[in-house]
Amino acid sequence: MGLRLWPYFLRQALANIISNRIVHAIGLGTMVVSLLIFCTFLLLLVNLNAWVGEWGHSLTMSVYLQDGISEVGRDNIESVVRSLSGAQIRRFISKERALTEFRRALGSQAGLIDGLSHNPLPASFELVFNEVEGKKVDARGIKQDLEKVEGVEEVHYSEEWLDRFEGLMKMIRLVGFIIGGLLCMGVLFIVMNTIKLTIYSRKEEIEILKLVGATNWFVKIPFMLEGMIQGIMSGALALVILFLAYLIISTERMHFLDLAVFDFIFIPNEYALSIFLLSVSLGLAGSFIAVGRFFKV
Amino acid sequence: MIHLFHLYKNFGPNIALSDVNLRVHEGEFVFISGPSGAGKTTLLRLIFGAERPTSGHILINGINLNRISRLKLDLLRRKIGFVFQDFKLLPAKTVFENVALALEVTGERRSLIRKKTRQSLKLVGLVDKEQAYPLELSGGEQQRVAIARAIVKDPLILLADEPTGNLDPDLTKDIMVLFKSIHMKGATVVIATHSRELLEDTEQGKIFLNRGRIFEEKWD
Repeated sequence: MGLRLWPYFLRQALANIISNRIVHAIGLGTMVVSLLIFCTFLLLLVNLNAWVGEWGHSLTMSVYLQDGISEVGRDNIESVVRSLSGAQIRRFISKERALTEFRRALGSQAGLIDGLSHNPLPASFELVFNEVEGKKVDARGIKQDLEKVEGVEEVHYSEEWLDRFEGLMKMIRLVGFIIGGLLCMGVLFIVMNTIKLTIYSRKEEIEILKLVGATNWFVKIPFMLEGMIQGIMSGALALVILFLAYLIISTERMHFLDLAVFDFIFIPNEYALSIFLLSVSLGLAGSFIAVGRFFKV
Repeated sequence: MIHLFHLYKNFGPNIALSDVNLRVHEGEFVFISGPSGAGKTTLLRLIFGAERPTSGHILINGINLNRISRLKLDLLRRKIGFVFQDFKLLPAKTVFENVALALEVTGERRSLIRKKTRQSLKLVGLVDKEQAYPLELSGGEQQRVAIARAIVKDPLILLADEPTGNLDPDLTKDIMVLFKSIHMKGATVVIATHSRELLEDTEQGKIFLNRGRIFEEKWD
């Protein structure tokens, strides 16, 4: 196929799009919406991942000691804690101090604990973990190990719920893959039908082209370019709309569960490029399937 | 050039052609004649590769159409001009574009396509109508556009199905002069017609078909 023919193919593809503009506009709109659903999901996932990652950077943990623990027992626990990679003892909270802080936290309601015959609060070590060489802290493993140490009553870490959240994230990712797969099939189907309609609208011309000696590829290529152009346009449009929506949303700082203030980030460039290439490939594949089924003149 | 062996073509229970044997040599000018439904159009379509025979063989320039690949058939069609009875012009394209189409599929340079298309339109006397659309033309003019498209690629074989069917006697004469000039350039010409006048005025080879069979051949 000579290079000389490519301008003809491109002209033909653009002429097809213009003469079937309503069919193409509907196809394009549906493709953009499908890609936008997928992109929005991805944007959400990327941000959730970023937020979870941020929380995981600095893990805090409280190691509660049994009542009546000896000084030696406490020293032993302290030395075990110090031996943990990335761990730092922020402070030791004695039973008395715990009660004082609790009383302060209760404020005007502090009178409620005046009637207690003994101090029910345990002494504890407050630990902070930092990532070592970029490796995430295995909070659950550390908790299990520390709870085995003699004299340790209980271990809590502030991001314990993150583990449960990780499970949720896995579920969201899985749902994302399923939705993405279904949407890809939908997009493929849309392109196939759009191209099929334009092929039917040019059936007479195709027949004549074949009768004057056009090869199958000569007839097929403009339709495939048509599908590719549809993929390019819908991919680009979906990303532009997503970016505009992101700009609007990101002007507001995101508050989540009143725990922290987060920045809203856009999908990474490589993801955006992948979505664009996916859209182009789906356009090409859809038109390829559509033309493949047609040519038996 | 064109060689048919024991050619049969059925459309369901209807027999269109039955045991047709024919040899047309390079550079010959042949008329295929016969009443409507005799099988003339089917015979031309078989030679063009637009239909497959039920049995028998068709050789074009030694190439057996039964064994030819799809791609080779497409390429072979570039050497065969066909004037269809129903013209097969594209209504949304201009006269110029319709004729140029036959060259565009070959991947010729645009300047050459323009030059040859104009030459072809000049030959059929339609150069002043190149920007008109087929539906703006008379039946005879449409016929001439179809002829211009068939000859624009300088075919080795020119097949024409009732090419003068829509023309008045004067135009018929002009078109026949045109076909003869193409023949003089070396093309093999096969014309299917039911026009007795056309056959009376010519000294070319004649083949008479009836009910799908050749029943007479006259070669001058």
